[in-house]
Amino acid sequence: MAVRAIWKGYVHFGSFDVPVKLHTAVREQRVQFHLLHGRDHVRLRQQMVCIHEKVPVPSEEQIRGFELEEGKFIIVDDEELDRIEPEDSRAIEVHEFVKTGQIDPVYLERLYYLGPDVVSPGYDALLEALLEEGLEGICTWTMRKRSYVGTLGARGRVLRLGTLRYSDEVVPAGSLDLPDIELSDRELKAGIDLVNQLSGQFQPENFENEHQKKLQELIDKKASGEKISILRPKRRKATAPDKLLETLEASLKKVV
Amino acid sequence: MALQSIWTGTISFSLVAIPVQLVKAVLPGRVSFRMLHAKDYSPLSREMFCPDEEKIVPSDEIVRGFEIGPEKYIVVTDEELESLSPERSRSIEIVDFIDSDDVDPVYYDRPYYLVPSKSGEKAYGLLVEVMRRTNKAGIAKFVFGEREYLVLVRVTSGALCLVTLHYSDEILSDTGVATEKEGAVSEEKDRMVKTIRDMKAAFKPEKYTNERKRKIVSLLGKKAKKQAPVEAPVIGEETPEGPGDLVAVLQESMRKLKATK
Amino acid sequence: MKKTVARIGDRRLPLSNLDKDLYPSFGFTKAHILEYYRRISPHILPHLHGRALTLKRYPDGAQAPFFFEKRCPGYRPDWVKTAQVRESDGGLMTVCLVNDLDTLMWVENLASLELHVPLARAATPGTPDSMVFDLDPGEGADILDCARVAFMLRDVLSDLKLTCFPKTSGKKGLHVYVPLNRNETTFDETRKFSKTVAEVLQHNYPLMVTSSMSNELRKKKVFINWSQNGASNTTVCVYSLRASEKPTVSSPVTWQELETLAGHGDPAKVQFIFSEVIDRTEKDGDLFKDLLTIKQKLPYL
Repeated sequence: MAVRAIWKGYVHFGSFDVPVKLHTAVREQRVQFHLLHGRDHVRLRQQMVCIHEKVPVPSEEQIRGFELEEGKFIIVDDEELDRIEPEDSRAIEVHEFVKTGQIDPVYLERLYYLGPDVVSPGYDALLEALLEEGLEGICTWTMRKRSYVGTLGARGRVLRLGTLRYSDEVVPAGSLDLPDIELSDRELKAGIDLVNQLSGQFQPENFENEHQKKLQELIDKKASGEKISILRPKRRKATAPDKLLETLEASLKKVV
Repeated sequence: MALQSIWTGTISFSLVAIPVQLVKAVLPGRVSFRMLHAKDYSPLSREMFCPDEEKIVPSDEIVRGFEIGPEKYIVVTDEELESLSPERSRSIEIVDFIDSDDVDPVYYDRPYYLVPSKSGEKAYGLLVEVMRRTNKAGIAKFVFGEREYLVLVRVTSGALCLVTLHYSDEILSDTGVATEKEGAVSEEKDRMVKTIRDMKAAFKPEKYTNERKRKIVSLLGKKAKKQAPVEAPVIGEETPEGPGDLVAVLQESMRKLKATK
Repeated sequence: MKKTVARIGDRRLPLSNLDKDLYPSFGFTKAHILEYYRRISPHILPHLHGRALTLKRYPDGAQAPFFFEKRCPGYRPDWVKTAQVRESDGGLMTVCLVNDLDTLMWVENLASLELHVPLARAATPGTPDSMVFDLDPGEGADILDCARVAFMLRDVLSDLKLTCFPKTSGKKGLHVYVPLNRNETTFDETRKFSKTVAEVLQHNYPLMVTSSMSNELRKKKVFINWSQNGASNTTVCVYSLRASEKPTVSSPVTWQELETLAGHGDPAKVQFIFSEVIDRTEKDGDLFKDLLTIKQKLPYL
């Protein structure tokens, strides 16, 4: 499938400039639902409503406030926010290079393909340099009045630009307060053997979105007036902590 | 940090089932504004609105519909959605363990964490330690809300991180983007490699701060010093019922209280 | 099970599992709990006296599951005083009355960390001795917000010539008590009165106060729970320990003290643990003792 470019710019680092085009890499496909009023199936829409009068307020009568304390606001208008918006630029500025795979996936937001804009030796050189060194760049850029921090990586014959989340948006795993667990060598060994036995290769094509199909069937059935039987969600019984080793060993026998 | 769980169930591999909760790994870091009514600074809230009756519809009167024709909908309930894959709505079953870096990051969608529920700590700890030592990650499918997700379960700093994945038919091919053949001029490449090596560092996410947020906060700080904040009107949602004289006396006393504030 | 026999007066009370740590992160054992209640007994007993006790038992500690026991256990020693109270379904139920130190010790030996009592005495079940406003912060609100609402309550009630006394809930909220001590005031009246006050406050400060149970409506607000004023409702007794991470206590505070504490802007400052409460009562006595004697009539009903 040919993917249209959505933005043009250039990668800059050191004394190099590499002209690139940005392409979408993911197109989500989902069954689209609408929210309806239960009794007459009128399609509802979202509306900003005054909390006191319960009446809709048209967008031209809406202003933006920052709540300093209960019921007290600092008003900020669009112009003031506009002045804060960064200047658009065409540069994807690389600040440093890090080992590929080092970035915790919780930071990854979205990947884009980055193709060559004009035929330039720089694109191929950069692509191959990154692949050979096993590195990816950390870069910042501004696109449509928004500043981004992201990654510049290489895979196959294509450069990729990924957007990253800011660290204040990410919950660090360390904050989860997970307990330290003592495990016996026997438990660990059984666990490792089991995981090794259940190991394979990731083949994304093997995983179809079956749910989507079932959902379409459900809708078709309901449209033709068929009755739908409700199935209760199945729950699995949790393995008791003192049965862990036993269960791991039983699993191993089952696999073999 | 107390994180609210958005789902509870089990994560399982073979016969082992671990009770877990799903929590968000991403929180809004943005400065959040409240929309107000320009005329009196009354706060606004986002509501579902019925255009025919011109009124707010409470959540218990809202249903989910799929459009099969102009203004013709098929209503689908939560129970019916759960019925589609009853074995997957309360259980994340790992079907395969794969090498951790086997998944092309282009498949990554949204990250979450799994945390152990009561009496699941030990099996959870075991799965984490085993996956860490073998450098494996799990592939599973599970149903959450309106969708069935293909997910990757991997280990991050001693925790199970669940990343929802895109299905392969959602990934666009990069063939039109790729360069035709290997064509790097070696001199150019060598010069680049030299610069790249000079710029090598370890990734420190805190180094890149949200500039926009910083600017907004500083703008707010300046404005708060210069001008007094506006005040939302204080109007009760309903007039209190109750003995008339008592309400009147209490209201009078509230009025006095506000005047001295 | 480890047993020790304690001698209180001329009675012998077998105590079990004294070294069991019921507040594990604090290191507070059952022996500590018994000792706390023994020392606070001169002050807590008058507030428990004659009231049907609801046991809230934490056999595995403050962070583990608990159970309520309204009925007085059948295996009680014969010297434990009881009363018959009518249940909502009309049947009669035997309840414990904690009128003396021995009973208090027996109850604590059952790991009933928290002591909950109704606002009326068992002998006069229809007429509460006091009216309570239970101020409970919703998500995003804290005890400082509760203090703000408590001050408003105090001012409004004072305009009605009513005296009231605050105590910490020992958890996240505050309780404001209005002494009545008249045999004529009924729960119908305290309910109607407290509901009206709560609604007027909500009407005037809708962003700060709610009188609605709904969790959604309670976000960032203080919930004024007026419905605790019912014959079958119980509220945690003053000086009772609370089951939380630390051995906190539902402790009386003076209004002036509350203003100073809340003024620091730190919710943790408006919280007392057992040792602080012992020290306070040794110095100031029972700040809540007037709650048991001041006679007041609810006006405008």
